[in-house]
Amino acid sequence: MTEAAIFKGVALIGALIVGITASVQLKNDWQARGLDATVTKLLLGLMAFGCVLALLAAVNVLGVRGIRS
Amino acid sequence: MASAAAPYPSGHAAVAARYDAVDEVYRETRDIRLVGFVLFLLSDCILFSAFIFAYVYLRNSAPAWPPFVDGRQLPWFDTSFAAFNSIVLFGSGVTMHFALENWKHLDKATFYRWLIATIVLGLGFLLGQAHEWTGVLHDGVTWPGSAMGASFFTLTGLHGFHVFVGVCYLTILGIQASRGVYTGSKYFGLTAGTLYWHFVDVVWVGLFFLFYIW
Repeated sequence: MTEAAIFKGVALIGALIVGITASVQLKNDWQARGLDATVTKLLLGLMAFGCVLALLAAVNVLGVRGIRS
Repeated sequence: MASAAAPYPSGHAAVAARYDAVDEVYRETRDIRLVGFVLFLLSDCILFSAFIFAYVYLRNSAPAWPPFVDGRQLPWFDTSFAAFNSIVLFGSGVTMHFALENWKHLDKATFYRWLIATIVLGLGFLLGQAHEWTGVLHDGVTWPGSAMGASFFTLTGLHGFHVFVGVCYLTILGIQASRGVYTGSKYFGLTAGTLYWHFVDVVWVGLFFLFYIW
């Protein structure tokens, strides 16, 4: 197994765990009101989106051209 | 530890009640400081946006991307390690969120555990970035050598500096918390630290997309 495959495997598992956890936290905080809660919800949502990007990169759907030899 | 001796009931309603159970002067200054901090994050967002738009302009106006240097086309950045390192940083965002939630629910022992996990993951991300920079330099991408290298090192360097400041910031918050600066109802510093750390995470989402996926 190559080093790149190991990194992608860990990224895939991590993206699933972190993305689901961030989404659950976002759902739990959805009813919260106030500027800090609103900004936190926005940032948590964007972070969950980042996990989707990392997941797609890990399964070679995005960014497949750049693998360092 | 602290949760066993908590003088308040737990739960979201109790958290909200404690949040409001402060004197009028503290409430007003907390709201003003919060707006000020969000404005600071917005100004930081503009700083990153300026460099990001410069990168987008340079990339779109280049005849070929990755650019050619000395007759050789530079390689794309390595997505596999970047995806791994991104998850390290995003994971630290989740642990910081847990830390603040536990502070709000008066579970200080768990707060410290999550805070330390956040700091460790932040340091791990910085080490990963050092590894990434080494690999990129090894691939022949340098700061003065090309617009690609200049943009990459400027933006990831600026972001890495923010992560480093964030690690120092969270460490100071942990020390302050251990010295009793924050209470179950007065913890604006911890809220600001969490917002800053989430912001740093989200900036990386943009940089990850720009350099490794686009």
